[in-house]
Amino acid sequence: MKRKFIIIVLFQVMILVGIIAYRQYWVATGARVLLSTESADPRDIFRGDYVTLNYEISSLNHTVLGTEEKFRPKEHIYVVLEKDPDNIYKAVSVSRTRPAAGKFIQGRAGDELELSKLEVLLQDDAGKRQSFSPRWFSGVDKGDRAIFCIGEKNTVLQFYKEEILNKPKCNTGKSISGVVVDIRETKTRQLRVDYGIESYFVEEGKGKAIEAARNAKSLNVEVSLRKDGKGIITGLFLDNKLLR
Amino acid sequence: MSFHENDIPFEKRLKEEMDLWLEEGIISREQKERLLARYEVLEEADETAGPGRLITTISMLGAVLVGAGIVLFIASNWAEVPRWGKLLMIFSSMLTCYGLGFYFGYEKKNYPTVGGALIFLGSIIFGAGIFLIAQIYHIFVHYPHLPLLWGLGILPLAYLFRFNNVMALAIVDLLVWVGTEASFWIPESAYFGNIMPYITLFLMTGITLWTIGLMHRRFVSLRDLSGPYIVIGMLTAYSMAYVLTFDIFRAKLGAAELAPFYIGIVGLFIISGAYAFRPGKQEKAWVPEAVALTVLLLIALLLAFFFAGTSGNGHAQITGGMFNLMTFTANIVFAVIIIGTIILGYIRRYPPYINIGLLFFVLDVFARYFDFFWKLLPRSLFFIIGGLMLLIGGVILENKRKKVLASFHILENE
Repeated sequence: MKRKFIIIVLFQVMILVGIIAYRQYWVATGARVLLSTESADPRDIFRGDYVTLNYEISSLNHTVLGTEEKFRPKEHIYVVLEKDPDNIYKAVSVSRTRPAAGKFIQGRAGDELELSKLEVLLQDDAGKRQSFSPRWFSGVDKGDRAIFCIGEKNTVLQFYKEEILNKPKCNTGKSISGVVVDIRETKTRQLRVDYGIESYFVEEGKGKAIEAARNAKSLNVEVSLRKDGKGIITGLFLDNKLLR
Repeated sequence: MSFHENDIPFEKRLKEEMDLWLEEGIISREQKERLLARYEVLEEADETAGPGRLITTISMLGAVLVGAGIVLFIASNWAEVPRWGKLLMIFSSMLTCYGLGFYFGYEKKNYPTVGGALIFLGSIIFGAGIFLIAQIYHIFVHYPHLPLLWGLGILPLAYLFRFNNVMALAIVDLLVWVGTEASFWIPESAYFGNIMPYITLFLMTGITLWTIGLMHRRFVSLRDLSGPYIVIGMLTAYSMAYVLTFDIFRAKLGAAELAPFYIGIVGLFIISGAYAFRPGKQEKAWVPEAVALTVLLLIALLLAFFFAGTSGNGHAQITGGMFNLMTFTANIVFAVIIIGTIILGYIRRYPPYINIGLLFFVLDVFARYFDFFWKLLPRSLFFIIGGLMLLIGGVILENKRKKVLASFHILENE
């Protein structure tokens, strides 16, 4: 009885020591990369005594996603990383299969967002071509005459189709009238990725400072990558100073 | 004459029994007094010492409180305590609890209840240690591994010492593991689609745990450990079955991605079922139980694999047809299994069946009374029919009891 009991307790101690040893081995053998963080949704930034980290590589944009390949939510994906002049690693490509070489991090695909950007080219009455990006554009076709109401920073407040009998006027903003030369719509997509390194436990009370730094974009996170690309946080750098 | 602690309940039973003997004229009042005087010490001891169950409860509550305190202490003193200090606290508190628990409960044997509580506390600290170490080293790559390690780490302890509380803790840990692990597999989808698959998953898990419990009952050496499996299994399965009696047959109830889980659970069910219902000295009324468990598991599997949901376009109102048929059937099946369980509990004289059956009977009556969505039968009619069925059932059982008692030449209580 006593021997069995001691064996079981030793077994439990081994599990605990095993977790630590596994982590130390991972850190010792893994490749270190520095990732930059971005501000997170303020509603769940700081809960209890840990900080939610949102990385630059947490959302992959069109240029990284590149191909038409679609990723199912929760699917394992590999994001290839490359170092920029500031020693920060950025995402350059993503794939379903494990890359043969280079630095890469393993994550799980999240939601994919489809973003569309409109570009309307207007040749004004003076003959000058101007480009606008309205949020939406309908009812006016290529070759139609139109009047654009332009606000600050070249934003399109309103637009109207101009016809022989109907010449609308802008209530606000500067009005520009001319012929619509071209309407271009570019669709881009954005993929959320979860790497399992999104929470970091901190001393009680230290969270607020880290949160502020993260929102000011001066927080970098050092991550150790295992051979299969799984990452583990090894340190937080606030203004290039290691936090302990 | 010397007594053992176990003689206290015997004395209580004896007292009740002797009242009957006196009534039946087997013993005289004087004989009863003389017999009781022989066990007087026991009654006196019990009254002064306080009830044993209370001691167990107090010790267990103490263990849980101390465990929570240690966890909070380690977790909150982040800055003050260095990493090695935190690890030292985890390991030393765990080993101290185990050591003292074993010493009091099994070496000196003078405080078995407190010893058991300390070992239980040790297994709580072990689990807390897993989570604290993961927290200290920021290892959160795949957190379902944490409850899995906890459960697997303390399971041998439960089997070695026949500790029902450690056993229950291990089973709950493993349930948490199944749930969190599944969350990584279930695809995101609209209309509660990513919550629904848990219903069938845990229904199957509960049924399988229950069957594993029945398997334990067939082995003399494991019989003591069957309780946690059966009770937690039943509570899990019935809670999920209860959810199915509501207005939920809109979205899919399973996920093809969970196939590895389904295969594992069904595999465990088949193995444990084969042992639980193998030929030999069977428990009373084992056939309906075996059939019911298999049918329930098959229903859960069918729902998980083939039920595609009745909701075509989001918020469209669903009336009649398939949807009502599903809810209606689920209600009938649920009512049958609850009543069946209660009857089985009486036949087998197994209180957990009766208690859990009654609990869900009450919950079901409550839900149906306030159920505004379920308009298939007028509520009043449902209650009248249900009540009549129960009354008729009562008459049948009463008659059967009379016959059985008569066949043994036993007179009934008036």
